[in-house]
Amino acid sequence: MMQEFLQNWIYFIASLSLVGVGLYIVLTKENIFRIIVGLNIIESGTNLFMVAIAWHPNAVMPIYTATNHLMVNGKVVTADPLPQSLVLTAIVIGLGTTALALAIGIKIFEKYGTLDVRKIKEAEK
Amino acid sequence: MSIFNNAALLIAVPLLFAFSIPLFGFVSKQLTKWVALFTIGFNATFSLYILLAHKYPTVVVMGNWVPPFGENLYIGPVAAFLVSVISLIGLLIAIYNLWAIKLGDVTRFSVLFLMFIAGASGMVLTGDIFNLFIFMEITGVSSYALVAYGPRRRALGGAFKFLVVSSIGSTLYLLGVMLIYTQLGTLNIAEIAARINQTTPGLLTFAGILLISGLAVEAELFPFNGWVPDTYTGAVNGISAALSGVGAIAGVYALFRIVMTVLGRDGTYVFTYGKLDLMTVVAILATATVIIGELSALVQKNVKKMLAYSSMAQMGLVAAGFSIGSKLGVYGGIFQLVNHSIAKSMLFLIVGVLVGSGLGERIEDFKGLWRRSPFLSLAFTIGAFSMLGFPLFAGFWSKFAIVGASIQRGGWYDFVIGLILFASVVEAFYYLRIVTYIFSSTSIKEPKIRVNLSPAIPIFILAVVIVAIGIYPNFIGSFSMQSAGEFTHKMTGYVLNVIPTIAAH
Repeated sequence: MMQEFLQNWIYFIASLSLVGVGLYIVLTKENIFRIIVGLNIIESGTNLFMVAIAWHPNAVMPIYTATNHLMVNGKVVTADPLPQSLVLTAIVIGLGTTALALAIGIKIFEKYGTLDVRKIKEAEK
Repeated sequence: MSIFNNAALLIAVPLLFAFSIPLFGFVSKQLTKWVALFTIGFNATFSLYILLAHKYPTVVVMGNWVPPFGENLYIGPVAAFLVSVISLIGLLIAIYNLWAIKLGDVTRFSVLFLMFIAGASGMVLTGDIFNLFIFMEITGVSSYALVAYGPRRRALGGAFKFLVVSSIGSTLYLLGVMLIYTQLGTLNIAEIAARINQTTPGLLTFAGILLISGLAVEAELFPFNGWVPDTYTGAVNGISAALSGVGAIAGVYALFRIVMTVLGRDGTYVFTYGKLDLMTVVAILATATVIIGELSALVQKNVKKMLAYSSMAQMGLVAAGFSIGSKLGVYGGIFQLVNHSIAKSMLFLIVGVLVGSGLGERIEDFKGLWRRSPFLSLAFTIGAFSMLGFPLFAGFWSKFAIVGASIQRGGWYDFVIGLILFASVVEAFYYLRIVTYIFSSTSIKEPKIRVNLSPAIPIFILAVVIVAIGIYPNFIGSFSMQSAGEFTHKMTGYVLNVIPTIAAH
């Protein structure tokens, strides 16, 4: 029972709690760099979730060879290849967003001299 | 299922030219703005051809894989109409940019602007929920960078806020998509729509809430629209116009494509599957958006911030219209969406011209504008009247249709009547305050404002379109009515046009 739980559910719970941790960081931290780190944690959580739903404990790779049988007793036993290809796209998009966020963060530091959201807000007034 | 593969050019051509613009940039920086203009001009011509020659409903099949197996674009009445609106407004803003964008990195600005238009068109055209996420990110990433463009440092704060909110939103959307994928094993919108009641209701509700929270960011609905005021105020005016005229259309389309087509259940009024009626959730969010947006707009002293809050409130009205769920309600919603894009992008362009000629952004700075520039004053007045729904201007007909739809539905949806009247009264107060300032005289003799040809053309065209819609609403109304049918009848309007052989389960 415990082993089955660990095999099937721990990845879902862990990845979704990463999303939660990331959301908490983004909502509570006041430093722009920490907010960007929080965004990255949310993205990693989502990507892990996508990989986790494609996998099950006895999965084989989804490539057909002479020794790798994709079907056993009429049941597909491969890992689902589609979410794995989607996760590549999501990782690339996350990389782009992070790069842009860091670039904007550097510009903010150049113009305001601080990365603290509260101080930036005061400087605007 | 009719196939018209050339329609993929609507996305391919802007993307191709976006990435080849740096080459043109070696020749001349000014040339890149013309390249962007002509590329969007191609999009506008081609989408108008599809709309007016009645090429829709049609499907673009990628690589000969028919829809449930391959990725596809679907051009129904909604997509044909909204892509035309997106590319026409994009074209007018590109004409305005010829004058407005002179400093800084003009080449990269043109690249990003083309990507923004391509992404927004893609969001409206695509028939695959994961591609919708990708196009959302293309639109999003290019718009964060566009917002950060400009000499002022407050642009950076707006861009960063938009980036954080929007990327959290799209990540939540992706989680929702994946939850639906675990249940159905497909990403095609038509197939999901046909098989949606095979899912577990609880999981579907959770996925629906994630999808709504992701898409409500771009559609500017209440708890997710904190970015709107800072971003619109910080961005240069052409970009604020593009965000409210182009980005908002794509966002609202995506939201209601998911809520009404994917999760919806056919009937006299659209409800959604799952344990919770998500149309009601959207109605509640929309009501909160209208009330908060209008009341915040009322107290603003800065015209751009006021326009930003007003934009938020108008998006709430659009969502309220859609959430009634009948054909008339969706008709009113789409009509209001298009009217808002036209009027709000014109107002932002006018503010851009005024700021360019040295006027401030505070309301008091508009005092005596009539003496200095009758053309801009008249155009601003027309835009303001259309926003508040003055009869014989475009906005009147759409608000009228939404009120009609809520009376037709009855029950507790009667609150929409009150909502629209409340919104109109508050809008009348703050828009007419500016109009009064414009026509009040000042004793100080100030020089006239010269308006260049390139910003004057889009403002003139948009003002004429507002009056034309006001006098002859069927001009836009007939397209909105066809589009409404696609949203309210999901099997005959959408699914069977994409996959003719599928049966509703």
